Amino acid sequence: MFLNQTIRSRKPGRIAGTIVSAAIIVIAWSWEAIITWVGVQASQRAPLQLDTVHLLSLAFLGYTGVLVFSSLVFSLNALLLNPDLDLLLAAPRPVESVLAGRMVVQILRLLLLSLVFTLPALLVLAIASHNFLIPALFATLYLLYPVSVVVIISLLSLLLVRFIPVGRGREIVTLFGVILALGINLLNFLFNPALRDPGFARRPGVPPSLPDVPAASATWLPSGWAGRSAAAILRGDWPVALEWALVLLAVSAVIFAAGTILSGRLYLAGWIQAVPPRRRRLPGLRAPRLSGPLPLLSPVLASIVIKDWRMRTRDVAQLVRFMMPVVLIFIIFGLRFGGLRSAVRSLGEGPAPAMVGLIPAWILLFSLSISLGLTAVSLEGKSIWIYAVSPNTTLRLLQGKCWSTAVPTAFLVGLVALTAEILIRPGWLWAATAVLLAVAQAVTVTTLMVGIGAVFARFDWTDTRRMLNPIGAFIGVGLFAVITGGSALLLGISLALASATRFPLISTWLAAMTVSIGGAVAVAILGLLIGNERLRGLELG
Amino acid sequence: MLSTRLLTKRYGSLTAVEDLDLEVGSGELFGFLGPNGAGKTTTIKMLVGLLRPTSGNARVAGVDILAEPERAKARIGYVPDAATLYEKLSAREFLEFSGDLYHVERRLRDRRIEALLKLFDLHDRGNDFLSGYSRGMRQKVSLAAALLHDPQVLFLDEPTVGLDPQSARQMKDILQDFVREGKTVFFSTHILEIAERMCTRLAIINHGRLVAIGSLQELRHIVGQDGQSLEQIFLELTGSREDDVSAVLRGLEE
Repeated sequence: MFLNQTIRSRKPGRIAGTIVSAAIIVIAWSWEAIITWVGVQASQRAPLQLDTVHLLSLAFLGYTGVLVFSSLVFSLNALLLNPDLDLLLAAPRPVESVLAGRMVVQILRLLLLSLVFTLPALLVLAIASHNFLIPALFATLYLLYPVSVVVIISLLSLLLVRFIPVGRGREIVTLFGVILALGINLLNFLFNPALRDPGFARRPGVPPSLPDVPAASATWLPSGWAGRSAAAILRGDWPVALEWALVLLAVSAVIFAAGTILSGRLYLAGWIQAVPPRRRRLPGLRAPRLSGPLPLLSPVLASIVIKDWRMRTRDVAQLVRFMMPVVLIFIIFGLRFGGLRSAVRSLGEGPAPAMVGLIPAWILLFSLSISLGLTAVSLEGKSIWIYAVSPNTTLRLLQGKCWSTAVPTAFLVGLVALTAEILIRPGWLWAATAVLLAVAQAVTVTTLMVGIGAVFARFDWTDTRRMLNPIGAFIGVGLFAVITGGSALLLGISLALASATRFPLISTWLAAMTVSIGGAVAVAILGLLIGNERLRGLELG
Repeated sequence: MLSTRLLTKRYGSLTAVEDLDLEVGSGELFGFLGPNGAGKTTTIKMLVGLLRPTSGNARVAGVDILAEPERAKARIGYVPDAATLYEKLSAREFLEFSGDLYHVERRLRDRRIEALLKLFDLHDRGNDFLSGYSRGMRQKVSLAAALLHDPQVLFLDEPTVGLDPQSARQMKDILQDFVREGKTVFFSTHILEIAERMCTRLAIINHGRLVAIGSLQELRHIVGQDGQSLEQIFLELTGSREDDVSAVLRGLEE
């Protein structure tokens, strides 16, 4: 249906995007197949003694974490936001069959996702071992394994949704989605052996190791059953594979049946009847309210800034998206703080350590400029008509958006840069220029992202996850890379120029900074003008 | 106060509005009627500057909406059908924002906001988020925002949908007070009884074309039957017939 709609839409952008996405998937699959083939060849030449049962059980246990979160998001979405469920439950069909159908849909989606990620590797293993049942049997495990998790989480969702007020469902679902993304990234950072080494030093002779959970392969856990069956499939031991698969099947069937009946009972008992909406209100006159004019800004610009910040900070999902990069920066660099600081301080004083010290600020700038700048105009959503009918130009709207995004971004980036420079101590002159560069680039880059966001603005979203246009994000990331690379190149040239010509380093340094910032300003203004032209042609039919 | 000349809007091969000529004077409560998909909302959106006409022109409050859109918009108030508002703002905050967008002086803005909230019985809910408002309450907030900057022309698209009878009556009174001050109201509605009672003049549009325009008496004259209700005139002029509906319902039963 997606392909049919894409072709029928006749939108070159959409068709091109689909082709590019398909190409990326094909490349990723090819890469996975190559890596698997190389691994198989290596294992045949230098056989390793691996506990495949434990490894595969560990993999299934890790998969359980993903299942829990994704099932929670799916179930809450189905119960709170999807209008289809209300229609189905009003139809003359047993409630249990409707709820069971939802769970089956989720299980099938997870099966497809699992195959998308692992099918190339399974095909290569099948060819290498002349065991062409491997993909089909693994698919069976992918079908059976999630059943118990999906059913249990669906039941928990039915209990949980009772406590979620009507109207907050979208925020809660988005929040869970964000937590899922954050959790996966954080776990990857904390447990991925490639990222776990402290600082830049490696202990020689000690290979990185995966975290171990001995209970993963226990015979009383589903991960143990799935791991044993999978290991037996890989070595061609059909009786053992079938034995453990049947155990998984039997337990899954019982849980599915019991869960379906219980879900129906819970639903019919009125367990998920809508909670009366709590009246969300502001504290009132006693609380300090941001109502006066902001300095330096006209009333129109000030009102846009205030309105945007109220919208961003009062929506839990948006607030999490905004805070997430800040928190992640602190966690990642905090955990590596000692090693990183000593490594950078070993470079001594000068522009090089000052620039290296800007890395955390630069990463923060990347996140904030994308999450705030690119979505600034889209933040209006379907309420864009309110501004469009007012006696204000689109350029004024963009000015307001620049103020509301660039100022907080520059403040946070400046704060992180200043903190890093104080800790690294590259010399006060270099530290000052580095912080100045960071703040100036924060303003220009965020302004550029606002312009790009205006070109690719989406106003028809109801879920904040759909605020960001993927093409706009791709272009924004690309331009950020260009600006970063250009700035680094200019600063490198300034160092080389100073040593080659004996000009004072500070002169060439400041010249390079000026050109870098000037270039970014020019690109940002161009982005804003292009964005303005796009908004001027916008029709709200 | 409002005039259009050969106003047309096309979307590719589809003509939504074609060669629309309208004249609406000051102090008029003008009703714009038509079946679903006739082009009422498209017309209103062109007149408030949300859509650009394919051809033709329009003047609102003496200003060409195409040539000087900001100047024209400063004199317009607009209430859309099922308005989407900023869910995370309270009614008071939304009205403050709206007042600032229309450059209303701060103290005057605050005084008017309190008066409008009282007028629409929203004073106690002024600090509640708009996400908790019913459709009728949002309609009232939209109307309050449209009146805040004291416009000369008010455009309303289906303004009474979602309003309880008391609120609908209140809106009617407000609009009649508005036109008594010499200003103009231009609204579209499906509820012909309201249009019949309120409007000084009416226009009927069908398939993007103006079918008839005038007072109720003039429309009766066009149809050629005195004493007919607006509903009968409307059905006659737009070609809708009760027989067709009955035939469809009989078909469903078979």
